Amino acid sequence: MTPGTEIPVVTRTPDAIDLFTFSASSWLIHRIHYDVPFTTEHDGHPGLLVHGPLQGAYMVQAVHRWLGRKARLRTITYRHLAPAYLGDALDCGGTVTEVEGSRIAMELWIRKGDTVTTTGTATFEVAE
Amino acid sequence: MGVITEEAREWAQREYPSYTMAVGRTDIQKYAHAIGESDPVYFDADAARAEGYADIVAPPFFPYVIRMHAAHVVGRDRLEPDGSASADVPPLPTTRAMAGEITIDLGEQVVAGDEITVAKRIVDMYEKEGRSGTLVFVTQEFTFTNQRGELVARERFTRIYR
Repeated sequence: MTPGTEIPVVTRTPDAIDLFTFSASSWLIHRIHYDVPFTTEHDGHPGLLVHGPLQGAYMVQAVHRWLGRKARLRTITYRHLAPAYLGDALDCGGTVTEVEGSRIAMELWIRKGDTVTTTGTATFEVAE
Repeated sequence: MGVITEEAREWAQREYPSYTMAVGRTDIQKYAHAIGESDPVYFDADAARAEGYADIVAPPFFPYVIRMHAAHVVGRDRLEPDGSASADVPPLPTTRAMAGEITIDLGEQVVAGDEITVAKRIVDMYEKEGRSGTLVFVTQEFTFTNQRGELVARERFTRIYR
């Protein structure tokens, strides 16, 4: 593995059950993730929003699917550039930027079509 | 001219009560299920022990679940009409809030049976001139420690007000 190596893209399309179970398991009560009339009529969104931390989890899982769970996340910084809505197909990928001993630094992203919804950097530690 | 007043700077010094979550197996299982995991170490104590863990392992973003419980398991009168946790807005002449950058550093692994305490404080507040006027950046820090006092995670979350 060298800088420039690309993480195989994993496409996730969270459905209503994914949004419900994520809100429920986190006890996240914000209505924009389950209340359609509120989200569309009051908040003016075209649909229910995919949670930011669910996208964060998807980014980490794309790395785990590639390197295995024993690649332990040590640090991650990310931000959201565009909203992701229920029904969007989210491509999760990234690129290795630095390899130093057991530590691998990466750039990570989530895209829907050509639009980047989430971008970040992370460092994973791979067991010897 | 700055918009951050002395009152806002005092607000940023406020202390928040800490919150402790007794992390049960079911809490971890439900979260792992929600994010689409199927790895047995997140569901089955024997599988986790076979890998040397004390009990079921929490996925990396699990500290988020702990701070969401801290924010939302409160009196219903403390939730906003949109269901979100009480807005915790600094006294500033701003009307809109946006989510900014999030940084999470991970330490010790969380496993079922842990008692994780999360402490919150405001660690940074600064302003920048944006195209549409002054933007104020407020960074909250959440520090998660386990029952042995070991650092489990530190999360910094910046909100942008305009």
